[in-house]
Formats: sequence, structure tokens, C-alpha cells
Amino acid sequence: MFLYLPHETPFHRLHPSTKIVGLALLLVMTVAFVSPWQQLPILLFVLSMAWYSKSLRNLRRIMPLVITIMVFSCVTWSLFKRIGDPFWVLGPLSLSRESIEYGLAMGFRLDAMLLSGMIFVSCTKVEEFAYGLRALGLPFPVSFAMSLAFRLVPLFFTRIGIIVQAQQSRGLDIHSGNIFQRVRKYVPLLVPIFVYAIRDTDLLSMALESKGFGMQGRRTEFLSFRFKIVDVTVLSVLVTANVLAWVL
Amino acid sequence: MTAPIIDIQDLSFTYRGADRPALQAVEYLHKRGEFTAVMGATGVGKSTLCRCLNGLIPSFIKGKLTGNISLFGEAIDSRHVYKTARRIGLVFQDFEAQLFSTDVQLEVAFGLENFAVDRQEMPQRVTSALKRVGLSGFEDRDPSTLSGGEKQRLAIASVLVSRPTVLVMDEPTTDLDPIGKRDIFDLACELRQEIDGIILVEHETEHVLTADRLVIMSEGTILREGPPADLLSDPHFLEKYGIRPLQTAVLLERLRVPAQSLVVSDAVESIRTAGWQASLDAATKLTDSDQEISRDTPVIEVQELVHRYQDGRAAVDGVSLRVDRGEFVAVVGQNGCGKTTLVKHFNGLHHPTEGEVSILEKPSLDWTLSELGRKVGYVFQNPDHQIFANSIREEIAFGPANFGLSPAEVSHKVEEAMEVVGLSNRGDDDPFSLTKGERQQLAVASVLATDPEILILDEPTTGLDYQGQRTILDLIEGLNTSGRTIIMITHSMWVVAEYASRCIMMSGGKVIADSPVRECFQNGELLESIMLEAPEAVRLGQAFGLSVRSIDELVNCLEKAE
Repeated sequence: MFLYLPHETPFHRLHPSTKIVGLALLLVMTVAFVSPWQQLPILLFVLSMAWYSKSLRNLRRIMPLVITIMVFSCVTWSLFKRIGDPFWVLGPLSLSRESIEYGLAMGFRLDAMLLSGMIFVSCTKVEEFAYGLRALGLPFPVSFAMSLAFRLVPLFFTRIGIIVQAQQSRGLDIHSGNIFQRVRKYVPLLVPIFVYAIRDTDLLSMALESKGFGMQGRRTEFLSFRFKIVDVTVLSVLVTANVLAWVL
Repeated sequence: MTAPIIDIQDLSFTYRGADRPALQAVEYLHKRGEFTAVMGATGVGKSTLCRCLNGLIPSFIKGKLTGNISLFGEAIDSRHVYKTARRIGLVFQDFEAQLFSTDVQLEVAFGLENFAVDRQEMPQRVTSALKRVGLSGFEDRDPSTLSGGEKQRLAIASVLVSRPTVLVMDEPTTDLDPIGKRDIFDLACELRQEIDGIILVEHETEHVLTADRLVIMSEGTILREGPPADLLSDPHFLEKYGIRPLQTAVLLERLRVPAQSLVVSDAVESIRTAGWQASLDAATKLTDSDQEISRDTPVIEVQELVHRYQDGRAAVDGVSLRVDRGEFVAVVGQNGCGKTTLVKHFNGLHHPTEGEVSILEKPSLDWTLSELGRKVGYVFQNPDHQIFANSIREEIAFGPANFGLSPAEVSHKVEEAMEVVGLSNRGDDDPFSLTKGERQQLAVASVLATDPEILILDEPTTGLDYQGQRTILDLIEGLNTSGRTIIMITHSMWVVAEYASRCIMMSGGKVIADSPVRECFQNGELLESIMLEAPEAVRLGQAFGLSVRSIDELVNCLEKAE
């Protein structure tokens, strides 16, 4: 994945399936809690994991998003959520201790989710992700298509950037005019984009076929991960934590 | 007598929906250990032939296929690409589109995985394939960070690793710089010791001499085949079939010296032996022929320009230069050296991070994008990045209409532009029905219609055959003669030598040389350091102590001693 950071940490070495299931368990766990005082430790735990997995560099890259989510969540939930005993009301807006806590909890939850996702992509190559999905029973073509999408999306955006510049040089101004005029202005962009999408897909499929993709029968894997004690430990801890979180 | 590896008999193919066959009664035998180069103009069926060989045709690409291809005397199974693909590996021209992994090792291993090679065996095979193409030590790199030449060699490794019997490469060097090209040919020569056959489709004659056999195709058939030295010694024949003749052969023919060998050093020897030498007034003749540029009308001035990406890397790193009205400037350098980023500052697509760019004596930041777009036309590398309209006329009218010209003016400009690029009377044609060369002409026309004073062209000849290249270059030259300033990015060195008046060489975001074209090829080491090589005509001239730009000039400067 384009955020992948090549480091040698125990996190990187986990079985990809462990990472996928672990991520899912963590996300589920964040949903179990509603109080900010329960959410905060999870967020802090995730942050420490970001440090442990050496993904702090990516954290800096998504920092603006992390802060925006926190601020937006605090402000909107606090003002719009009608729970508890409001100490301030103005039309549809109100503030209560409960609504502020709710806003904080939501902010912590969303950020914890975002950050755990970020740690996952920082420590997992696209191919490892696909391997993990296969190990969990997903058929090869499906897992391969998913991993290919991750690789092609950035390429596609680069292509769109070039096409936009090419038409801008010919005087295309997509930012002015009313909605109907603007929609029409997208035609000079969409036609070349589609032509390219079709052409690239065609070429890539030929390259894949030429390397034996689509061959029936057994397939081997270059990557190999074994399920180790550490994987079992990580998963058991997360399962236990989840059970506790939901039962308590 | 060795048995043929590939035996093609009476092979014809018509794409579904096409009215003419792409291949017609092709007959071909490939002997063990042979390295064959295939040449021909665009659209003569070279790629179609490659795709028939590895079974993409007819199982992936549909159409009507007749005739036979046999491999080691056995007809190939055309129902499944993977069965043939394992024995006949195919490398494509577009290295961007055929690489899809996030690290080099996994890219190479992909074929092995599909062919169910034992996992224990994989690492060693991946390592040796990478070593074979000179990419040892690149195992953990992300393919998107490699240079063009490295990417193409990676694509080759990813096919070689499956140990094909025959390696087919469809124009693998088209997007590469001169040294990158040479490396691919060197690799092909070495590989013929190891695999049974190599077939390589190529546009340029310069390296083809190293092949064992040359096949010239025309209109879906094999026109001639034989040792490259035989076929390449006839410049008229090559030119007739849309191939740029080998310059050494052209020189030998012009001087009526019989061709013993077409290697530059040998040819020079024969020419000397025949009594030719540089004439006394040669140097004066050459300098007299150079275009005079008045140095008092700057159209572009760049001061200490730095352009940084978001991640802080400098794409352009402290460039200062000045371009005067009427110059024809070539900008050269490896992929990623910052040449495109630099020229995009000239029409306002990029803004300087530091430093200043002024266009027509006004800082670029003071221009609006549309004002600047009119003064400075930009033809992007690939015409397909901009073609969208239903007719040629509508396509060309897009620019001038955007810039607010009246309908009468627009239609006048459109007719004028069509005339200049040679597309008159075709105003109602569908742009997508044009050939690649014509689409490039259309792209130039659509920029020309806004009547720019400066024209920037990003690799206008890529992907065109010789005829197409000449057409577009002569067109650009005409625009220059009529007073427009031309800035052209290219990696084709003969184009620089024959057309440009000045050459700017870039490396790592910096300008490392900026000189008249006549001088720019003199420093061999500098050229090599940025993967460039002087074109054949220039090297021939250097052998006679002359800094010529073309064979015409060289012939003019040689005289026969009495």
C-alpha cells in the first residue's frame, strides 16, 4: 500500500491474517464503549502501537485529518445531541455534560479506528494483505483484485492529474459557470479518462495472462507466513478484551 | 542443420470487426539460439504477430485466425494462454502498465506462483532472474521508484524467471533513453546463449545490427528477412517501408563507398581508405550554416528556480536560464530529472516554490492561466490525454473558443491550423479514427489554433514510426522558421541534432549543460553520466574531427583527396 513503511518490527512480522482479524477485533471493541474515559485508553493504546510499529511518520501525514475528526466530532455531537440535562439551550443547539462526553467519546472512537487502520497499512504490503485474505479463505481472484485496486487507484489519479493539466493548457476552466455549464465542462476530461482506463485495463490483463494468471489448478505462493505463538497470543488477548468489553 | 523452434505457416489474422487482415500469410522459421529483430512501420502487424506467438491471440483477443504456429514441431494449444505463455514469454512496450506489485521480488515471483513452481525453489530463481537483468540489490525496492530502463529490465526478469523457451519483446525500448536502449540489446545478445530464441520488435535501426536476423514487415506480411547488415545497407528500401535508415549506411551510399561493415568505426576506416577526408573550409561551412539568434528579445527568463513536491523533494533545484525569441531548444535528461516539471513553469501549470520565472517580460505569477495558455502552447506527450471531441474541427476549436475568440475568428483559426498540420478537408472526421501520428498532428493543431508565440512539446515523437516522426518534426521546424519559439523535451538524440539549435541537459533537477547543439555532444563522459549517447551521424562526424549534426552536413564537409 502506498503508506507502507519498510521496517522490521514484530508488528510487520505478524501473520497477515492475524493483522486483519486483529484490526477487525479492535474496531469492534471501540464500538462497545460509550464513555470517553473508556475510549481514551484504547486511543492511547493504539497510539503506543503506532510508536511500537514505527508508523509515526504516517501519523504525521494524516494528522490534519485526525485533528479535524476530533474537533468536528466534539463540536457537532456536543451541540446537536440531546441527552442528559442541558445547561445551555439555543434553538436546536444545546450543551450538557453528557453530550460533551458523547462528542469526546465519538472523537476518540473515530480516531482510534482511523489510527488502527493506518498502522495496518503502514505495516502490511498489499500482497501480504491479499495473502492474509486468502489464508482466511477468500478465493485468489477476489483477493488479487482487491490488492490490484490499491495499486491502481494512485496510478489512476496521476493519470487524471495529467489530463486535467492538458485541458487546462487549452483554456479549460472547470471552476466557473453554473452547475449545468460545469457538468458540460467535464466532458473533455471524462472522455480521455475513460479511454485510458479501458486501455490500461486491457494492457494489464494481457500482461497478467502472459504470466500465467488464470491458470486452472494449484497455485503456489512466494510469501510464506507461519502461524506462531505470538499470533495466537495477540488474537487471544484481543478476543478476551472484546468479550470483557461487551459483557461488562 | 538444427530443427526450427518456431515454425509459422500461412498465418493470417483479422481482428474482430476489422475489415482488413492484420496478418496475411506469414511464414517464418526460428532456429535455436537465434536473436531476431522485427521492424516495420506502425500498423504492419508486428504486435499482432507477437500476440499470436504467446497465444493471447486468439484466446484473449478475438478474431479470425488461420494457419499454424508450431513450437518444437508441436502445434501450440491456442485455447489457454497460460500453456503457451510459459514457453513463450512476452514483454510489452508499456512498462508502467505491466508492473503491478509493490516490491521487485514479488513482481518477479508472480509468474512462478501462477505456474505453481515449488516455493522452496522460488527465492533462488527470483534472485538469479534479477541478477540476469542487472537488478541485484533491488529486491525490496518499490517498482514505481525505478527508472524507465530499470522498470523495463524488471519486466523482462518477471518473464525470464519462468524459463521460457523463447522470449518475445514488443518494442521494449521505445520509452527508454539511449543507454537504456543499449542495455536491453546487450541483454538480448547475452540471453541468446541461455534461451532458445529471442524475438525483439524495434523501431530504430541503430542497435539492430547486433541481432542475428532482421525481419522487415509491411502490411501484415514479412517482406524480407536476412542478416541485419545486408538489409540495413540499403537505405532506400528501409525508408520506403517507414524505417529510419542506418545513418552509417546512408553515408556510405552517399559517398559511393562499398559497405564492408556498418559498424561506425569500420565504416569510417573504409571511407578514409577510399580517400575521403574533411575539407579545409569544413569548420567555417558548419558555423556559417548555424541559425543566428538575436540575444535581445528574451521570451522566457528563469532565475534560481526551485520547485518542491509536497514531500519536500526538489524536482527542479536552482535552475537559471533564458530563452530568446525564435530559438529551438531541446531539453534532455533521464526520466525524473525534472525536465517536465521545469517546462510546466513556462505556461503556468506549475508555480515556483522559490525563484522567479518571467514569460514575455512579465513574472509568471502576474499572468492568469488562460492569458498565459494563449501565449504559450503546451502539447502534452500523449495526444490521447486531450482528445475528446466528435470531429477534428470541434477538437481544434476547443482551445480558441475557451480563450474567448469570436465564432468567426475561431473558425478561421481552425481552418488555418488544419492547413498547417496537413489535416485540411478532414475537419469532419472522428479524431479516434486517426492514426497515432495523425492524432499527434491534431494535438499540435489544437494548440496552434490559439496562435501561441511559444510552443512547448513534451516528447512529440514517442510512439510514432519514422514517417510519423518526420512529419511532426518538419511541422515543428516550419513553426520555428515562421518565428515561434520552440521548447521540446525529447530522448531521441538524432532529433536533437537535426532539429534543435540549442540543447539543455538536465540531471537531478539541475541544468548540467546548456549549449548550442553543435557543441552539446562533444563531452562523451557527461553524456554517459546521464544515460545519453551522441547519435550516429554525430559520432561519424567526430571520427573526421567535425561537429556535424546530420549526414547531409557531413557529406558537404568531406572531400576526396586527389
